[in-house]
Amino acid sequence: MSDARVMLELQKVSLSFQARKEAFSQGTHHVLQDVDLKLCEGETLGIIGKNGSGKTTILRLMAGIFGPTSGRIVRAKGVSSALLTIGLGFRGDLSGRDNAVLSGMLQGLSRRQAEAYLEEILDFSELGDSFDEPVKTYSSGMRARLGFTTALITHVDILLVDEVLSVGDAHFKKKAEKAMKERIIGEQTVVFVSHSDAQIASLCDRVVWLNDAVVAGEGEVDQVLSEYQSYVSSMGN
Amino acid sequence: MTLTQYFRLVDTQARFALKADAARFFLGYVWWVLEPLLFVGVFYFVFNVVLDANRADFLVFLMCGKLPFVWYSKTVSNSANAIIGNAGLIGKIDIPKTMFPMVRVHEGLYRQIAVFLLLFVVLILYDYPVTWLWLWVLPLAFVQYLMIVCCSLLGAMLVCFLRDFILLIGLAMIFLMFTSGIFWDPRMLDDPAMTEMILTWNPLAFILDGYRQVLMFQQSPDIGLLLINGCVFGVITLIVAKIMNKNSQLLALKALS
Repeated sequence: MSDARVMLELQKVSLSFQARKEAFSQGTHHVLQDVDLKLCEGETLGIIGKNGSGKTTILRLMAGIFGPTSGRIVRAKGVSSALLTIGLGFRGDLSGRDNAVLSGMLQGLSRRQAEAYLEEILDFSELGDSFDEPVKTYSSGMRARLGFTTALITHVDILLVDEVLSVGDAHFKKKAEKAMKERIIGEQTVVFVSHSDAQIASLCDRVVWLNDAVVAGEGEVDQVLSEYQSYVSSMGN
Repeated sequence: MTLTQYFRLVDTQARFALKADAARFFLGYVWWVLEPLLFVGVFYFVFNVVLDANRADFLVFLMCGKLPFVWYSKTVSNSANAIIGNAGLIGKIDIPKTMFPMVRVHEGLYRQIAVFLLLFVVLILYDYPVTWLWLWVLPLAFVQYLMIVCCSLLGAMLVCFLRDFILLIGLAMIFLMFTSGIFWDPRMLDDPAMTEMILTWNPLAFILDGYRQVLMFQQSPDIGLLLINGCVFGVITLIVAKIMNKNSQLLALKALS
């Protein structure tokens, strides 16, 4: 990967924020501290770590949703990125169909283009008649299907994937994994957050392990995963 | 994102939201005109039946002031939590934060078109002559729209930084309701200097009076003051929008933390 083009680079990136604990008082949370990271063209980078270790935040920084408190994020010219997450971002009172149109438009499609994807989305998500029901009536599995499918239509240079393969029934999970694999095998650059070691092992070229806001390990998938697993089992004792 | 894309997205989201909103209620779209009418009804009861408003045209007078005021106050109040209320979407995609209050503004705008039509029908039923001067409603409503955009963006941004502003915005709406000449006529005050002061320095009072002058009394509004108000609110809107765009990532962090 060393000779591939660097798409995105995090240089000593830290992020902290103030949150109110009680009236007149604020606490500072350090979500990430001095993180260095390079993402090369065509690679699939996995990010692992326990809950609250900063995985989602690092994706949000990469997507440009957050800016770093200190440090720099360097993006190659003209590189677009999109963050795929499940469930969040839907308007519960709108139908799955309307939500799908809005998702497409928010990703830069015109209304007509977004509507052109509707049949494909309906077909892949297998939502049937529920597609025209309000999303608030959906089960979490149905939301996950809609979320994954609307996300799948995005065509961006860097795909930032946050746990989208972790919900839904076994049948849909398999189908989603297959579709994701097809994207990853191609030229797509992907950053992939997951709690599933098996998914990380089967999809990623390289892994970063985040622990308590810092990078605890980085490199070959097998090596970092085994370090992480021995850390997790030591926590359990 | 181009400006056209931006406004298409605002328009689509506002239409979808209105559709979903109408589906929530048994009476659906009827509420668009029923709710403002009930507001008018409450005020009419208090100020004409309980207290004596002492003017024959009070119902029409009240409607010309109250209906546009409800447009303003409801939109600004609804926009206050527009950014913090959309944290889910904000954590997912980097879009201009002005879009969230703008969607609420356009929801209000589309409803208000129906409300204005209702107002015209009432005026005609009460034998007010339809003249070319009624066209002044368009620039008056445009300046009011700018005023609404300006206050909605500012409110949504401030609430994002400090949630306490939500309470202050509620209080400000009550203050404006009493000071903008909705159920009383700024032109009937004993002190002409006070009339002058209110119409000059309270833009909302000026606009509401403008609707009445045009629709009820066939008088065109003070063009100079209308232009000044339009320019002032236009410029402040641009400045606030610029600040919000520049601090988009900070606003996202504030909304999500």
